[in-house]
Amino acid sequence: MLATGERKASDQAAQKRPDGNWPAFHDMISRLAVLESAPVFFTMPESVLRALARRLRRIRVPSGELVLCQGETGDTIFFIEQGRCRVIVDKPPGAVTVAVLTEGDFVGEGACLLNRPQQASVYAQSECTLLALDRQSLFAVLGGRHHTFIEELRRLAEQRFLLFADTSVQATWGMLLQEAIVVGVYSPKGGSGGTCISLNLVGALAQRYPGEVLLLDLDFPYSHSALLAGLMPTSCLARTGSAPQDAFEEVLLSAVLYHASGPMILPGALRPEEADEVTPELITRAIAVLRKTFRYIVVDLGVTITDSTLALFDLTQQIVLVAAPELSAVKSAADAIEILTQLGTPHDRLTVVLNNRSLKPAVTRQAVERTLKREVDVEVAFDGSRPEQAAVDGVILSVADARSEMTRGCFRLAGLLDAKHGQIGVPARTLVAGHHPA
Amino acid sequence: MSPASPVAVIDLARRRVRRASLHRNLEAVAFGTREKLSIDVREKDDDFALVLDQITKPLACDNVGLQRLMAEFRNSGIADAAIERLSAKSPSARRQSARLLGAVRMTQAVTLLAPLLESKDRVVVDAAARALGRIGGAQSAQMLLMAIQRIGLRRTLIGELARAAPDLFLEVVLSEAQRPGLKPAAALAAGLRRRQTAVGPLVALLIHGTPRERAISCRALGWIGSSAAVPAVIAAVEDPKWKVRVAAAKALRALHSGTAILDLERLRADRNRRVRQASAAALRRLLRDVKVVELTWL
Repeated sequence: MLATGERKASDQAAQKRPDGNWPAFHDMISRLAVLESAPVFFTMPESVLRALARRLRRIRVPSGELVLCQGETGDTIFFIEQGRCRVIVDKPPGAVTVAVLTEGDFVGEGACLLNRPQQASVYAQSECTLLALDRQSLFAVLGGRHHTFIEELRRLAEQRFLLFADTSVQATWGMLLQEAIVVGVYSPKGGSGGTCISLNLVGALAQRYPGEVLLLDLDFPYSHSALLAGLMPTSCLARTGSAPQDAFEEVLLSAVLYHASGPMILPGALRPEEADEVTPELITRAIAVLRKTFRYIVVDLGVTITDSTLALFDLTQQIVLVAAPELSAVKSAADAIEILTQLGTPHDRLTVVLNNRSLKPAVTRQAVERTLKREVDVEVAFDGSRPEQAAVDGVILSVADARSEMTRGCFRLAGLLDAKHGQIGVPARTLVAGHHPA
Repeated sequence: MSPASPVAVIDLARRRVRRASLHRNLEAVAFGTREKLSIDVREKDDDFALVLDQITKPLACDNVGLQRLMAEFRNSGIADAAIERLSAKSPSARRQSARLLGAVRMTQAVTLLAPLLESKDRVVVDAAARALGRIGGAQSAQMLLMAIQRIGLRRTLIGELARAAPDLFLEVVLSEAQRPGLKPAAALAAGLRRRQTAVGPLVALLIHGTPRERAISCRALGWIGSSAAVPAVIAAVEDPKWKVRVAAAKALRALHSGTAILDLERLRADRNRRVRQASAAALRRLLRDVKVVELTWL
């Protein structure tokens, strides 16, 4: 039986003063907490969040109850305050679960903002507490000065629409027979282009294996891979930690963002403070699930070496070390190689990428190799302002621009990885020397 | 002055010309080809609200055209004048203002429209209800529910409640303990909305409700047409109250359920004449459907 979470004692007062049924202080705090953890909404100013929080309706939904029905019109966004909701797309002859959403996420935004029929049915998987925000309230608060938030919400709704439309991607999850290769991308100095190379490496690998390559963004505290790819994250690895054991896999896979060109991205944390919730145990659990689902998992490890990074070094089959031809970056890379060697990383598990961030680098390749005491495996030539422009446009260079130096470098790296781990059996020499298959 | 007199004909023609001019002006503002209304909106102009209503009816609340119109109304002071006239003595002035505010979906006016639902003039109550239905949202729906509780089940109020209620609003009203008269109103509105999400609460009401609630929920389930409701409606055929049995027969007719034929056959021998009539009508319809299905199979 559906029910509101409000107190009935206030009913009589509300009858006399219809606009006077404001939520109590503690109720308001909990409403704000839900809005603050929801994608897009957490970027809104506090005054706007307060105005929205006042207009929320709390609804308790028993387990198994239908919340939204596929094909019907809708005018409300439902925030999940407690519990889990299963999103199901009916696609005869069967039905596909496309997502399991938990606390902090929301549903119904597609019908509410894009004026389309509900794309999927939503059922309460456990007893849920939802906060409902109807279209009129949303536009009353955001319609004027804060119209940009509505546009952002529409973008998010469109992104989800495309994700759920490609239900075949989710249907193939878990059908791979062999476990994924985990590749850690580590850049010991910030600004060396580690995130850019991770993203473009995923793009290059996804050209060969669409829907089977994942980028796990653990570059804390600010994980920007999804943003660079023009995607809007709705959930993250940190939030799956609170999911029950039996639902962990579904909740984790529901947090994965799907890029239309093939690569998939799982953000580590949406907000800097969530980074602490990504523990080594959580990473180990997540990698165990993801290895059964994808062919390649590229992990952007960021700059700092934390417990999580160390846990991941143990789980990776290959570590890509990104260095820029600058004195401090090369020195940091040499130190990192030494640490990795001390940790017992075999020489052949390490790949060094030299990323030229300027036209005339101060340190030559030979000097870098001398300092690192090993050869550079892949060198990415200077690519001008293309990487920055791609980030602004929200596109992945290795997918969109075949002539880019970054694309060439990442395809060489992808070929090297593929050859080393025997995924397609292409000889390494061909790929290292030649251009990418595109 | 008879309607066919030359003066009346000219008056009618003038009025139509004026409406056409209003229509063009308002459309120009909505499409953005004109920034300001170039017409003088007279205070007692009934046509203005009517034309505006026609133009904005198909527009969603986030439509750019509607927002342009609303901005122009605010800037030109028409909105303020309309709000002021909500408290006018003349019922027609209040009706026009309510219509105007509803047409531009002014959410801020919901609390100002609510007192009009307590008016003694039915036209004012209906206009306010229509305006609230057009504006929509949980607050409008709540106002309409309160009016229904006060006035009782009225066609306009139920229809506008169905229009205004956001997702899961009526379902929650149906599932929670309510003041007398609210659940039947919510059940009727849920039936009019034809949402599958209401099937569960309506079935629960059919099982646990009062005779009136059971009868209304039967009809609402029939309107929704969900096959999930068929077992509960078939069970209602055995209800001790004849009104519930009539509603169940009508619902089974609407649900096109072939599995209910035997139960309806039994109802044909019911002690109540109306039940017998309803079941006979339902059977005729169902048997015709069954024949069509058989023929298509052949």
